[in-house]
Amino acid sequence: MTIITISRGSFSMGKIVAEKVAQKLNYDLISREVLLDASSRFNVPEMKLEKAIHDAPGILERYRHGKQSYVAYIRSALVERVIGGNVVYHGLAGHLLLKGIPHVLKVRINADLERRAAIVMERDQIPAPDARSRIMEDDKQRRKWTHSLYDHDPWDTSLYDLTICIDKLSIENAVDYICQAADTEGFKSSKKSIQKAKDMSVACHVKASLVEEFPNISVTCEYGNVLIYMKGKDQVTGKLSKKLNHIRESIDDIHHLETHAGTEPPPDAV
Amino acid sequence: MEPLTFDMILVMAMIGLAIFLFIVEWVRVDVVAILMMVTLPLLHLVTPKEAFVGLSSNAVVSIIAVIIIGAGMDRTGMINKLVAPVLRIAGNSSSRIIIAISVTVAVISSFMQNIGAAALFLPAIQRISKMQKIPLSRLLMPIGFSAILGGTITLVGCSPLILLNDLLAPFNLEPFGLFDVTPIGLVLVFSGITCFVLFGRFILPQGDPMDGGESESSSSSTSPDHPQPDADQTEFYELRTPDDFTDYRDPVFVEDLRRRYLLNVVAITEPPDFKVISPMPDVEVRSGIDLAVCGLKKDALRMASVEGMHLKDNLEVYKDSLSAQTAGSVEVVVGPRSAFSGKSLKEINFQDRYHVTPLSVYRQEETYRAHIGDIVIQVGDVIELYGTWKRLTVLHKEGGLLFSLPSDAEEMRPEKTLWAGFWLVTALVMIMGFKIQLSVALMTGALGMILTKVLSIDEAYQSVDWRTIFLLAGLIPLGIATEKTGAAAWIAHSILSVIGDVSPIVLLTVIGILSTMFTLVISNVGATVLLVPLVVNMAIAAHTDPRMAALVVGLATSNSFMLPTHQVNALYMGPGHYRTVDFIKAGALVSVVFLVVMIAMISLVYGI
Repeated sequence: MTIITISRGSFSMGKIVAEKVAQKLNYDLISREVLLDASSRFNVPEMKLEKAIHDAPGILERYRHGKQSYVAYIRSALVERVIGGNVVYHGLAGHLLLKGIPHVLKVRINADLERRAAIVMERDQIPAPDARSRIMEDDKQRRKWTHSLYDHDPWDTSLYDLTICIDKLSIENAVDYICQAADTEGFKSSKKSIQKAKDMSVACHVKASLVEEFPNISVTCEYGNVLIYMKGKDQVTGKLSKKLNHIRESIDDIHHLETHAGTEPPPDAV
Repeated sequence: MEPLTFDMILVMAMIGLAIFLFIVEWVRVDVVAILMMVTLPLLHLVTPKEAFVGLSSNAVVSIIAVIIIGAGMDRTGMINKLVAPVLRIAGNSSSRIIIAISVTVAVISSFMQNIGAAALFLPAIQRISKMQKIPLSRLLMPIGFSAILGGTITLVGCSPLILLNDLLAPFNLEPFGLFDVTPIGLVLVFSGITCFVLFGRFILPQGDPMDGGESESSSSSTSPDHPQPDADQTEFYELRTPDDFTDYRDPVFVEDLRRRYLLNVVAITEPPDFKVISPMPDVEVRSGIDLAVCGLKKDALRMASVEGMHLKDNLEVYKDSLSAQTAGSVEVVVGPRSAFSGKSLKEINFQDRYHVTPLSVYRQEETYRAHIGDIVIQVGDVIELYGTWKRLTVLHKEGGLLFSLPSDAEEMRPEKTLWAGFWLVTALVMIMGFKIQLSVALMTGALGMILTKVLSIDEAYQSVDWRTIFLLAGLIPLGIATEKTGAAAWIAHSILSVIGDVSPIVLLTVIGILSTMFTLVISNVGATVLLVPLVVNMAIAAHTDPRMAALVVGLATSNSFMLPTHQVNALYMGPGHYRTVDFIKAGALVSVVFLVVMIAMISLVYGI
């Protein structure tokens, strides 16, 4: 019941690796489906979601919190998708969006810049300097996005369980290593880790339901007990109260729901 | 009108800064006052001597003495003893109980700090509510409001009135006597109580009389022998873990059960066969043991099902250890100046230090049951605690928490009652009979109590609320700067030029409304210090009695009923389970009546 996330830079052959891993382990392969799910569940155009997860927020967007909402929708849809396990996700930021679920194997695929540029040159028929600058610009956007939303550098190896550079190692080597890692005890699901995944799914669902109107809240869930953390001296207003009543009724797995104002949310809060 | 100078602009900026900081509360109000105390001489708006003159002012010394005298009276237990005869007079009628207790609180509040009187009476009111089966929500608000209104009966009843004479001194205006405000204060108390007697059923939340004084989400002083009939209320359950409980899972601790199922383990068996009451959070739940939990039935059922435990029909193993004679749960209110305030429950660590278990926290319309360890406790919070009566008594003695238990646990000195009464009367005679300055007379009373061992000098020092002292002392230089630079006169003239010629009654009414608005958002002391120089200048320019204008500010800064911002309202909000809207509803009526009565009485008594 392992969940594998494959993070990669553009044209790093991560997609091929993901496909081969899914095929070898007989796992589901998902990427863009998550955006489609989020788009239909939260009634947001897919283009906007794609932009939200690809481009770093601009100065104005940081105050409008629009991107934050879209990311919350995507996270909710992704957690819902992977909760059953046996799945390979090779979309953007899987290692960050699924942070907190114990049986997730987080893999990073890197490739040599020249090799990546060669693929772009061949595909788009452009000269080498243009291909290189396009890749570097794309990497820069990734870095900015992860920094602004999660304060991490995607190239930081400590974020992953396995980092593989496709250069001297072949795609097949990478697939073998990943499959071998997925079979280790630490990434096998347990009753406890499945409960954690279920709790995260509930927390993400609650956050996604509230984030548009209350962007500063954080949510945790443990065994169905949902805690909503509000900043400073914010009070539970009539509007929030109504929303919470609706959430209580609409999400089955909630046993108890409470709001804590002025308490620092724990690091694992979504 | 004098032209606007740079110093005036600086003073106005400082006033603006103080008001802003009072509202946003980035730092505590007393810290704002100290900031003013330090910044004003640095900006050369007051001299260094003027900056600290507040610390030696008549008002500050009077407040210190009033606090010590109040603490002395508290130590003798005389106030608690008043409750029984008062109740006898009141009988069983809830209206008569409200009137009797409100009048008593108001009279006591006229000689001690409002918050002190309110805190002192809270446990007694909780007991009365339970005994007479009157919902606490119907008692606390009228009594709390009476404590605030009682502060207007004498000149030492509340900080703004104590300050008044000091603020009038720079204008060479005749100071007020101790009982000059008494007729107005008494009528204000009378009208406040009348509001609740006549309109109580419309403006007060009614609560459920069957709760015996408690509202829906609380259970005060319950025991396993008397389970609550309501399905949504906490009850005690006993469970047994299977013999293979620890064989096939990660270790489960007491804290895990609280976090996962919101059930508080109040007793557990530790090997070989020790029954531990209120176990520590890190105690492991072992195989084949019995544990008693407190919580909702649905949660107990959920835990039994998920963890494979056997939920027993009744308490068996813990029947005796958790009997009503041995243990139970109580609701405690975090009192003013409690050492627990500002700390999280995790930091306080009730289980380890006192062997009692916190079950829930109630604050501003919310009952917290999940992750309560992280909640930072505030004054007025209601904490439901479970433990043996012996342990709860130890915690009670520690102070800082207002228990609804009989107050025998506290160390009282009833034999000193006469001395305490004697020194209070002596202070009053010195003020009224010999016209000795307020601070000197009151400090004599306080010293007398210390010398006759009503309370020790250390207890006297501990009783002084340094926050109030520095709030007063720190804001006094701001008042001096406002007057000295001419900023007060400039603002007063500007306002008058806008509103034009008005009659004294209208002017005083406007001042009353302004003071009420200020006191709702900034502290009453802050409002008084800022407004008195301003309104005195306005009154002089409008040919109205400036003393009356100052008196309106001194009284109307007690008109703080519409929001739970006043310390007394904040303290009673939790135990009364009031919502802000309850204060708006009842407070709006009392505030309007307050303004009308105050202006009418001032014009009647002083002939405006």
